[in-house]
Amino acid sequence: MREQDAYKDLSDLFRAGDNALPAEPFTRQVMGNVRRQKMMRRLVVGSLGLAGAGIAALQLPALLGEWVGVDRAVTAALTTAPTELSTAAINQLSTAAMSNPVWLAVAAGAAFCVFAVSAFERA
Amino acid sequence: MRSDPDLAHAAAQGNEAAFAELVRRHQGKVRGMARRLAGSEATGDDIAQVTFLTAWQKISTYAGGTFSAWICTICWREFLQWRRRQKMEIEFDETAEIIPFDRSADQNEMRMDLTRALETLSEAQRVCVVLCVATGLTHQEAADVTGWPLGTVKSHVLRGVTLLRTRLENTNVA
Repeated sequence: MREQDAYKDLSDLFRAGDNALPAEPFTRQVMGNVRRQKMMRRLVVGSLGLAGAGIAALQLPALLGEWVGVDRAVTAALTTAPTELSTAAINQLSTAAMSNPVWLAVAAGAAFCVFAVSAFERA
Repeated sequence: MRSDPDLAHAAAQGNEAAFAELVRRHQGKVRGMARRLAGSEATGDDIAQVTFLTAWQKISTYAGGTFSAWICTICWREFLQWRRRQKMEIEFDETAEIIPFDRSADQNEMRMDLTRALETLSEAQRVCVVLCVATGLTHQEAADVTGWPLGTVKSHVLRGVTLLRTRLENTNVA
């Protein structure tokens, strides 16, 4: 026997009272509140979003000002950095090779592997 | 007819019609529960309104299971919040006093019906009877909703139902 069966008569009495409550006016009221709440949330989120966009737009001139000259600086860094790096690497490599020629073979092997991998990657 | 979890899933996607159907299905149970807990029809309906609004906000957290138990848990929490606002803090235990409801003289002279018989129970008994007998939750669900031990809920329901029957019988005899 289910536990609810022990008081089914009382449950039926309560349920009869609950079923007698008119559903439509209450449901309409709840859904009206739901829509109002939804609209209010949209309004708050929308206005906060607009305010954020406005603040961002105000920052735009300063941001664009920072960008002027950035491309030139990047280009210069990209052209000079590899040269400086390779020069330093060759110097280190020749020092290592002079101390022990095996290092030269290791470096040549590593360079060959990197070349092979990059060649396959491109294919 | 679509099941409650289906409707809840659709409502979680923003489908208002699905949520309206859930409200239509469960409003009687929730309003009945809130009215009986609060001891007032107007307050009970207010609590039920807030319950469904909270349910709409949190519908995406409904993870299947009995929708009745889920919505009753929200209703119970809203009732507790309402009580806190009313500053009517009373310990839910067996020794809790019966809460007197504000009744007019005419109503007091009225024949004792089911609702009034319910109001003569202790607070804890009334809560358990409302949840299990009137709302139809299982003892385990009622224990989950209230956070009380299962044995406590069972004993309150048992005593509450016995008292309720006695009071109703006395009324009928009178």
